[in-house]
Amino acid sequence: MLKIAFYGKGGIGKSTTVSNLAAIFAKMGLTVMQIGCDPKADSTSVHHGGKRIVTVLDLIRKYNDDFSLEDMVFRGEDNVLCVEAGGPVPGMGCAGRGIIAALEKLEQKGAYEVYKPQIVLYDVLGDVVCGGFSMPMRKGYAHEVYIVTSGEKMSIYAAGNIAMAVDLFRKRSYAELGGFILNCRDVPDEEKNVKVLAEDFHSSIAGKIGRSREIQEAERLNKCVCGAFPDSPAAKEYTLLAENILKKWGIKAKC
Amino acid sequence: MKQTTRTLSIYSSDTAGTASMLYELGGMTVIHDASGCNSTYSTHDEPRWYQMDSMIYISGLTETDVILGNDERLIEDVCKAAKELSPRFITLAASPMPVMTGTDLDAIADEIRARTLLPVFPIHTNGMNSYLKGASDSLLAFLQYFCKENVEKTVRPSVNIIGATPLDFSINGTVESIRKFLMEEGFDVISCMSMGSSFEEIISAGKAQVNLVISSCGLAAAKYLFRQFHTPFVTGVPLGKRYAGHLAQELRKAIKNGENSFSCLYDRSIPQERENAPAVIHESIFASSLACALEKDLSIPANVIVPEELQISLYRKDADIVAECEDSLREILTHTGTLIADPFYQALISENQSFIPLPHEAFSGRCFRRANKVLAARDLSQWRDILC
Repeated sequence: MLKIAFYGKGGIGKSTTVSNLAAIFAKMGLTVMQIGCDPKADSTSVHHGGKRIVTVLDLIRKYNDDFSLEDMVFRGEDNVLCVEAGGPVPGMGCAGRGIIAALEKLEQKGAYEVYKPQIVLYDVLGDVVCGGFSMPMRKGYAHEVYIVTSGEKMSIYAAGNIAMAVDLFRKRSYAELGGFILNCRDVPDEEKNVKVLAEDFHSSIAGKIGRSREIQEAERLNKCVCGAFPDSPAAKEYTLLAENILKKWGIKAKC
Repeated sequence: MKQTTRTLSIYSSDTAGTASMLYELGGMTVIHDASGCNSTYSTHDEPRWYQMDSMIYISGLTETDVILGNDERLIEDVCKAAKELSPRFITLAASPMPVMTGTDLDAIADEIRARTLLPVFPIHTNGMNSYLKGASDSLLAFLQYFCKENVEKTVRPSVNIIGATPLDFSINGTVESIRKFLMEEGFDVISCMSMGSSFEEIISAGKAQVNLVISSCGLAAAKYLFRQFHTPFVTGVPLGKRYAGHLAQELRKAIKNGENSFSCLYDRSIPQERENAPAVIHESIFASSLACALEKDLSIPANVIVPEELQISLYRKDADIVAECEDSLREILTHTGTLIADPFYQALISENQSFIPLPHEAFSGRCFRRANKVLAARDLSQWRDILC
C-alpha cells in the first residue's frame, strides 16, 4: 500500500491535484482512497458531483463511536474511495486534534484492512501548523510528501516551510519529500523559481500542471478535468504525474 | 445523569497503572505531564513510594512547551536523566495535554533510543482511561520487549503470578499470601508480575508451566505468553479456602491439558434470586474470584457488579451486572443484599443494607488501607452471619 500526502499553500490547487490523481489511479484499475484532511471537508466533492460527504468528525459528534466503517467511506462516481476528516465548529475546538482523531478512527475501524487500497492519498490543509497537521506524514502514514506550489512568492514561501518541516522530521522516520508539483499561475520565471526551491531541498519538480481553462471549467461542472476533458493538456499532465508516481514505486496499472 | 459522578470517587488513571506496573522493574518511567502531577502517580496511587526507590518521573510540561511543541526539551531531559541513573529501560507515557496536541510519542521514543542506546518503549496512555489499560499495556509492552527468547520449561510444576499491583492488591500481604499458597500447593513461583520479583525473574517467565492471572491487568500479558511460549493460563485469585484449593487444581489441570481456564468467570453460579443476593464490586477478576469463594466456601452465590470505568476488564457478560453510571449503580444497589465493596460505595446504599468493606486502592487510595484484610487462602466464615 502506497500512502502519499499532499501539502501546499491554501488555495494552490491541492484538492484539484489530489482528486485528479485519484481519479486517474482509479481509472487505471487501482483501488485508491482519498482522505481529505481539512475542516472545510471539500477535498473529495468532485468525486460526488459537487456534493459533500459526511465527515468522520460529524459521525463522532453525532454517534460518538457507534458507527461503522461504511458510514465513513464513500465510493465516488469514479470509483475513488472517499473520506473527509472534517473539523470542529469554526472558531472553536482544535482542528489539528480533529485530524488526529479522524485518522485514528479510520485505522481503528480497519479502513486499510477492509478496503485494501493500493494507494492512499492524504489531501492536507495548507501548512504544517501543528502536530495534527503533521499526522499524515508520520511513521505509519504517508511514505512520501508532495508539495503543490505555484511560482508566486507566498506559495513558494509556504512550500519552503513545509519542505523544512519534512526535513526536520526526517530523523523521526517520517515521510520523505517526494518532490514539488508545479501548478502554474503564469507568473514570471515560475518554473525557474520553483526549480531553485526544489534544488534547495535536494529535490525536483515531480510534475508540472500548466495554467488551464479546462481545469476551471471542470470544477464549474463539479468534475475532475480528466473526467470532463480527458483529451485536454491538463488531463495529460495529471496522467503523466500519476504514471511517474507509479513507476517510482513499481506499481503496475491494471488497465 | 450519564457519566456524572456526584458521590463516588473515580478509579486511578492509565498513567497511574503504567507507573504501578513498572515500578519495581528497574526502568525509568517518564510521564509527559505538568509539574506537580507526579504526586498522584507516585504517592496517592503508589504505597511503595515511601519504602522502595523507583524512577518514576514527570516531564514538567509547561504551557510554553505545549504551545511551541518543545519535544527537544523532553528528549534532552530524558537522555540526561538516563545518563545519570542508568535505567534498564525507559518508558514514555502521556497525560491528556500531549495527547490533545498530538505529541508523537513513538517518534520521541525512537530519538531517545537512538541517543541513549537503551530500550525505550512508549505506552499510549491518555490520562483518561482506567488504570487497567495502562497497567495491562505496560506489562505487555515490557514482555514483548524483554521476554521473547525460547526457554526450557521447568521440570517441577511452576507458575507466574500475573497482574499484581498495589492498585488492586494493596501492600497488605495479599500478594505474598498468594505466592505462599502456591508454594504450599507444590508450585515453584517463577515470577510475580509485578510485585516482589526482579527484572531477571520476570524476563524468565517463559519457563513457567502455567500462568495465574490475578487481575485484568495481566490478561493481555498472559495471552502473549500463551502465544509466545504455549504457556496456558488460569484466571482467578485464590481467595477463601475451598476456592483457593480449586484454583490450584485448575492450575494443575492446565499444565496437563495445555488449555486456558477462565475459572473465576465460570466456576460460580448465578444467584437464583438475583435480588437480595450479595454483590461484589472490585476489579472484576478479583470480584469474580470472591464470588467463587463465597459460593465454594459458604454456599452463598453472589452477583458481580462491574462499574462503567472497569468495563474493559474480564467479566461474564451473561451474568455480571454492568453499571453504566452512578445513577444506574445506585438503582442496582437498591435491589442487592449485602454489598461487598470499597467503603466509598457505602454512600450509595441505605442504612438498612449490610455492608462488608473491601478497600480498593485504585478507587480510594490510602484512605482505607489499614482496613484492607488479606483474603487469599483464608477462611471466610466470619462473613457468614452478615451474608445470611
